[in-house]
Amino acid sequence: MGKKPKIVCVTGGKGGTGKTLVAINLAVMFKNEGKKVLLIDGDVENPNTYLLMGGKLKNKKEILFFKPKIIENECSKCGLCAQHCAHHVFLYLKGQVPIPILTLCSGCKLCYKICPEKAIVPDLDIVGWSYSTNVDGISLLIGELKPTEARSATIVESLLKDLENIIENKSNDYDIIILDTAPGAHCDVELLIGKADVVIPVTEPTKFGELDLLRIIELIELLKKDYRTIVNRSTLIGYKNEFLSELQKKHVNILGDIPFDEEIVLSYCQGKPLMEKNSGFEHTNGYKAFQLIFNNLNKWLNSHKINSKG
Amino acid sequence: MDILAVPSIGNGGLSETMSPRFGRCPSFTFITIEKKGIKAVKTVPNSAVGAMGGAGVQAAQLIGMNNANVIAVGMLGPNAAQALNALNIKIVQVPSQQLTVKEVVELYLNGELQEINGPNVGSHYGMNSGVDPGQGMRRGLGGGRRRNF
Repeated sequence: MGKKPKIVCVTGGKGGTGKTLVAINLAVMFKNEGKKVLLIDGDVENPNTYLLMGGKLKNKKEILFFKPKIIENECSKCGLCAQHCAHHVFLYLKGQVPIPILTLCSGCKLCYKICPEKAIVPDLDIVGWSYSTNVDGISLLIGELKPTEARSATIVESLLKDLENIIENKSNDYDIIILDTAPGAHCDVELLIGKADVVIPVTEPTKFGELDLLRIIELIELLKKDYRTIVNRSTLIGYKNEFLSELQKKHVNILGDIPFDEEIVLSYCQGKPLMEKNSGFEHTNGYKAFQLIFNNLNKWLNSHKINSKG
Repeated sequence: MDILAVPSIGNGGLSETMSPRFGRCPSFTFITIEKKGIKAVKTVPNSAVGAMGGAGVQAAQLIGMNNANVIAVGMLGPNAAQALNALNIKIVQVPSQQLTVKEVVELYLNGELQEINGPNVGSHYGMNSGVDPGQGMRRGLGGGRRRNF
């Protein structure tokens, strides 16, 4: 039986630190080594991995969310749904058909399951979409939350269901799976970190960066995951060495740092990943920094306990 | 005959101060009004006071169960507004000042409270924000001496 794919989660807490930059370029570097790579874009309010790789969204799939609908003629007005709903969705006055306040509904379907008259039917709402595509030899799975919807975690859960299906039934399809999270430490981020073998929080050498890094580390440690940070734009304000030693004082392990490099910005704007073979950026400081990080990452992954099937 | 509900602090009652929040107010005072006069007063503790979520809906249910057909509010969140509208309970807006329940009833009887049909604040607005008026003595209105600069 084949080995289970290794799962690397790139996160960071603070927005704009370079998570997607790192996630994409790590994916490219693994691909260059001949590995089969899947990149999952979990930043569902702002999925842009495909853009930065010069790809297009394909294979659109709707992600549906359950909401209850009461068929009034079938309802015996027993109020059981209202009594048991943990989120107090139903307004129930004795002898009346319960009135659902749908904004509170968590989609757990308990009311649907326990209605003695089977008077509750599922009303399925589109809460977002997923897309799957392949760009330059890297498989991409992308989630997108429908604008005005609040449940980003629902989209991430759907992506993770796809991931579980892959791990269980197609584990030979991929060697490496990279998860790119949204900023913040909300439950959509927590769901992705929870699936990882290793976690890479990306930060920047500023007070904001440090604060948000420590916060995301709290979450990572709560989930008992192994992590090493990358400091992006490390030469930004000439603060690099102090910042790195601050992190070391706080026992934060560092995977590497990426200097501020205009060539990186250029590659970003052109939709051409920096580390792509023959990208034209091989001479740049950014390129060399990424190579070093990749070597460190491989050493770290190899030293890590890997769960293999069979 | 109207039954007017007023969110109140403490245990409620006519002489108690009105609570500016709805979903998580400590109690509700129900005033039965007949022929422009107060016929009966009832107080009920608010079971939704500690709720993390869905407090507005639970509180609306409490109002409905006590047969109120009109409620006076200070702040009203979106879920609460939706729930009260679903139950066809009329909502009237109380101006933002510290008022006793009795004063609110008087304003209502004089037709001075405007009807509203939607929320006037966002979700969880009154939660843990020290919104209730202090339970101690009312502050004096002292204007102090004019300073001559």
